[in-house]
Amino acid sequence: MSEILRLENLCKQFGGIVVADDISLTLSAGEILGLIGPNGAGKTSLFNLVSGVVQPDSGRIFLQGQPLEGPLHRRARAGVVRTWQHMRLFRSMTVLENMLVATREYPGESMLRSMFATASVRRAEAEARGRAMDLLARMGLTQAADSIVVDLPFGQQKLIGLARALMNDGRCLLLDEPMAGVEGSNYETMQRIVRDEAAAGRAVCVVEHNVSFIKDLCTHAVFMAQGKILQRGSVDELTRSRELTELYFGTVEDHADA
Amino acid sequence: MEYLANAGMLIGIYIILAASYNLIIGYGGLNTIAHPIFFALGAYTAALLGIGTTLPSVVCVLAGIGVAVVASVALAVTTLRIEGDYLLIASLGFQLGLLQLVNNFEFTGGPSGLSNIPVTITGPGRGWLYLLICAVLVVVVVWLIWRAMAGPFGRAVRAMRDDELACAALGRSLITMKIVIFAFGCGAAGLAGGLYAYYFQYISPEQFNVAQSATILTMVVLGGIGTTWGPLIGAFVLVALPQAITFMQLPSSLVGPLQGIIFTVLVILFLFVRPHGLVGRREAGVAH
Amino acid sequence: MTDPVILLQILWTGIAMSSYFVLFTVAFALTLKVEKLWNFAQAGLMGIAFYTMFYTLNAVHWPPWLGVGAAVVLTAAVSIAVEVWAIAVLRRRHSSGLIFFIFTLIFSQLVAFVLTLMFGTEPETIFPSVMSPVRIVGGVAMSDWDLQALGVTVVLLAVLYWLIRHTRDGQFMLAVADNDKLAEIYGISAKRAYLLSGIIAAVLICAGVYLYGTRAGVTPDVPIGLVLTAVIATLVGGLGRIFSAAIAAVGLALLQSFSILFIPAKWQALLLYFVLFFALVLFPRGIPVWRIRRAKPLAPIAVAQAGD
Repeated sequence: MSEILRLENLCKQFGGIVVADDISLTLSAGEILGLIGPNGAGKTSLFNLVSGVVQPDSGRIFLQGQPLEGPLHRRARAGVVRTWQHMRLFRSMTVLENMLVATREYPGESMLRSMFATASVRRAEAEARGRAMDLLARMGLTQAADSIVVDLPFGQQKLIGLARALMNDGRCLLLDEPMAGVEGSNYETMQRIVRDEAAAGRAVCVVEHNVSFIKDLCTHAVFMAQGKILQRGSVDELTRSRELTELYFGTVEDHADA
Repeated sequence: MEYLANAGMLIGIYIILAASYNLIIGYGGLNTIAHPIFFALGAYTAALLGIGTTLPSVVCVLAGIGVAVVASVALAVTTLRIEGDYLLIASLGFQLGLLQLVNNFEFTGGPSGLSNIPVTITGPGRGWLYLLICAVLVVVVVWLIWRAMAGPFGRAVRAMRDDELACAALGRSLITMKIVIFAFGCGAAGLAGGLYAYYFQYISPEQFNVAQSATILTMVVLGGIGTTWGPLIGAFVLVALPQAITFMQLPSSLVGPLQGIIFTVLVILFLFVRPHGLVGRREAGVAH
Repeated sequence: MTDPVILLQILWTGIAMSSYFVLFTVAFALTLKVEKLWNFAQAGLMGIAFYTMFYTLNAVHWPPWLGVGAAVVLTAAVSIAVEVWAIAVLRRRHSSGLIFFIFTLIFSQLVAFVLTLMFGTEPETIFPSVMSPVRIVGGVAMSDWDLQALGVTVVLLAVLYWLIRHTRDGQFMLAVADNDKLAEIYGISAKRAYLLSGIIAAVLICAGVYLYGTRAGVTPDVPIGLVLTAVIATLVGGLGRIFSAAIAAVGLALLQSFSILFIPAKWQALLLYFVLFFALVLFPRGIPVWRIRRAKPLAPIAVAQAGD
């Protein structure tokens, strides 16, 4: 299996708090890795480091063998895309617009090209629109295409957040608590989509507190606490470990019974 | 009718200024008050080249646009990391500093300005010919801005206004977008400057000071920040209105301050009573 | 090299002339600290203060204390009116920084236009003459104006210091400056703090205008330049630090004064704009002094919550 993402000895601290303590990790195509751990463990910080929101104090990141560096937008253009804990959808825009603005290649977005819409821009727009509608169709949300995104129910908004990230068509997908507050059919849709994307050759990493979701979806998992990776293995192994359960304040145990 | 041509030219020039300023602060969300400076750079460059060289006037105006664009990019790059309120102050300082420079140098004519800008079009139809050229340019500028904002670029800019971090994390270069908007807006102001210099044939530093900033700002606020038609209506109203005062046969020393009072009172009124301007609609997302 | 006496003279006169600069700066810095507002409307207040004094003292010849008193009352009243009818409204609406900037700047413009209408554009001074008796001390000419300027400034600053450190209202102003929502929870009225800082600013502005206007000619568009110099000194001194802004004001005034040795007079004003520009470009988030004081307690908590 080809390696998509490799983290080598990542370290980062803010003031006195260590959010990443010598983190090394590999993610391959088709894998869905779960990141679990208590609050403050450094899970979202890891996403911030990989996506470029924050620069590490030391350590390196590789995407498909090439060093991944530079500001956020360059990393997204390289094919690393993430979703956010608080969604961060574009509030004044429709669902379709949110998705169209998320494509990795965007020939029409240069101001000059927008002014003198050449045929190439029109073609690119049509192609992006086609992809967006396909994604919406897979999620059963075609009818929502022209709604202002914040008018949709919460669960659908989270699906749109995922759809928007998928427009990037990147090899590395980082999902930050995608399932928080989602239930029922939306939950199943999201599960199905993530599995399909991994099967299509993407490397997916998921931060989630909902452990049953992680059990259902992830191929394996990593347990983090205080910026360190304490254990890696299959989700079963991690959830059955006594010490990790204690570290996680018994939450894992409850979910394991449910 | 010279008088109508003058008013028409003023309206056209101010539409370009207001529309480009609206692009910068309304669409781009950039905090600057220094728009008249690029108006000045365009005017002075065109004027100095027109007076000092034999270059055709079109070239001089193009040079004016070029200087405005280069200066705007230089300013943008240096002030890139300055945030919100400080950026406003930086732009104000930049404007006043540059005006001081113009005031102090001999070759720019100092405080008394340049009054020997060469004639380019003569004859009885001068006013109308200029007006025609101006009208075409106005349509072009406004149309270009509209197209940019209605297209994919405008979409990316709206995303940037909604959430910069998310926008950048999806691959958009915020800096590029801001610089491009700023450069285009300032270039348009430079064009307006060139037009102004050649038509009115007299420019001086005091035409480009904070009062001018306030005038352009008034037009944008009155019309509606971040709308397409707003700056046009704002420019029209605020050129036409003071012209009404000139009919009252007041001594010239009163006309200036009276116009200024009308402008400023209008801005303040609109800021409080109708912040979305004449054209804008009260939207949740629009910053006011 | 230059005669040391000349250097001393420049130093003395520079310090004396920095007096009104200090007063304007402290007024601006105080408002910025307490209200988090870049109050360009203070240019309008300066104009109102000046022309009130000009009219009462130069035109209708009231006794000085009455004229100055009238100016203080009027300026303070306008300051309060602006706060209550305008700033508070914008604050309630959570308006953006641009809108506050537009309003305060346009307000000052409006005042300038009204004053132009009423008084014209000829430079005026508060008293018909700007000369005051001079005595020579150790080769340095010290005028009565110089001494008065220094005296007034030192006294006002001392009173302000006492007010802030040793009165309840002063302490409340500091609390609101630090965290207005938190202060409100403890029963401190932010509104009262804003009004108080507005009145203090008005008093300082009147004093500064009196000193400036008894020495140089004023036209309706002079104040906006004066406010900008106050802004520069505030930025250089460090946001949120009133007294170091005052020191910065003295420093910048001396910089301008001594620059006469190197550059022609007409370039002096430009010097300040350069300082402003460089200060902002080098410190794009404001001179870090203030931020350091804030950063420590907040960062770990914020990061821990974000760093899940």
